[in-house]
Amino acid sequence: MRVAVKYTDAELIAAVKDERTLNEAILFIYQQYAASTSSFIIHYGGSEQDADDVFQETVVSFIDVVKKDKYRMEASIKTFLVSVAKNIWFNELKKRERSGHREKIFEYGRDQKEQDISHQIGDLEKKRQLRDLVNNLGEPCKKILMLFYYENLSMKEIVEHLPYENEQVVRNKKYKCLQALTGVIKNNPAIAQQISEIVKS
Amino acid sequence: MEQQHALIDHLDNTLRGGASAETQQMIDSDPELNREWQFLRLAVDAVQDAGLYEEVATVKEQWKIQQVQQTAVIRPTGGIVRTLSRNMAKIAAILVLVGGGAAFFKYATISSGSLYDKYYTSYSLNTSRGASGEDAMDKAYQAKDWNAVIAAFSPAKRTNKSDFLAGMADLELKKYDDAIEHFEQIMAANAQANTDYFQDEAQYYLAISWLAKDKVNEALPILEKIRADKNHLYHDKVEKMSFLDLRLVQYKESK
Repeated sequence: MRVAVKYTDAELIAAVKDERTLNEAILFIYQQYAASTSSFIIHYGGSEQDADDVFQETVVSFIDVVKKDKYRMEASIKTFLVSVAKNIWFNELKKRERSGHREKIFEYGRDQKEQDISHQIGDLEKKRQLRDLVNNLGEPCKKILMLFYYENLSMKEIVEHLPYENEQVVRNKKYKCLQALTGVIKNNPAIAQQISEIVKS
Repeated sequence: MEQQHALIDHLDNTLRGGASAETQQMIDSDPELNREWQFLRLAVDAVQDAGLYEEVATVKEQWKIQQVQQTAVIRPTGGIVRTLSRNMAKIAAILVLVGGGAAFFKYATISSGSLYDKYYTSYSLNTSRGASGEDAMDKAYQAKDWNAVIAAFSPAKRTNKSDFLAGMADLELKKYDDAIEHFEQIMAANAQANTDYFQDEAQYYLAISWLAKDKVNEALPILEKIRADKNHLYHDKVEKMSFLDLRLVQYKESK
């Protein structure tokens, strides 16, 4: 998959929203913006691996914001990505500081007036925790849930992808897997508390 | 159990555009059911987020492979064969040698850094912008005391002007990463506040800073944008630049 086209910001937003062009859009984002964002992370004390992880998290957040129609074209996509990456990296630095990693924490400009994007990208730490819960479900459950809820495949199509006898077996398995995931989420006190507050309000 | 299955069915129908208004009403009016509903939604959000994360990871790996492949040899393109007379062939050979030699020399010596040296000019703080703020930073800038300019910069009291002067001082001291950060900060601040204070200057010198860092791929889109905007403060300057040279560097640096 080699992207020859160059997207304008508006075209890139449209490409992200379209399932058929999403991968091309992601590749374009990496080609255009990964280097500058990575150099920023490295400049602020991160390793190449940190830069790699932060940029991946940044791209996921950006796509999520766009897909949920929360992206406002007030700044360029590049500026937005840099702001998100800064947000993620500074939070990571704070987390490392809290957990006693004081090896080389730079003066990273706590007093800097950053573009406030937290309302757009949401609670990334919570998302990360939830993602870990999905990954810990076990491969069969993870796969069935991904195919249905992320790839939007029908039961019939899932039967073709997975070694299950028929649609009803897949359906039952999916019930169990989703219930299992809901169960582990309920056991997370912080998330359970948050849900209670949403229900009350 | 049955109730949970009904909720899951309702969720699936909601996601695929066939929700029942009746079931939704029931959920909204029953706090316990609503709580279960919220957990289910959160679980599906988590699956979708994990799916997206994996998709990005897959494309990232493809991108890394591409980066390695970019070092591969570029295939020669086929040309049209024409018959030349013996003399014409000699002349053509000489021209190719002379032209090729010049081209080879240019190719061998050109780089982002050489373009930076060619196009960089210091910024003079003019009176209209300098006179109003007879502060330490202005004075230091006019005295070309770059370290003092940087020392006078305070992140807590930053303005576009102070960011710009600090960025220019960083450029003079060849601290390109710091300069880039100042110029990008100006552009972000302008985008956020819908202003354009020092915007054109920041854009131009951001491109120049990327050239200094041998990152022509970062510089080119900015310079193209400036060239396309006739009202840009640096339009005339950029128009005089050789985009052929820039593209040659781009080709050379992508190898």
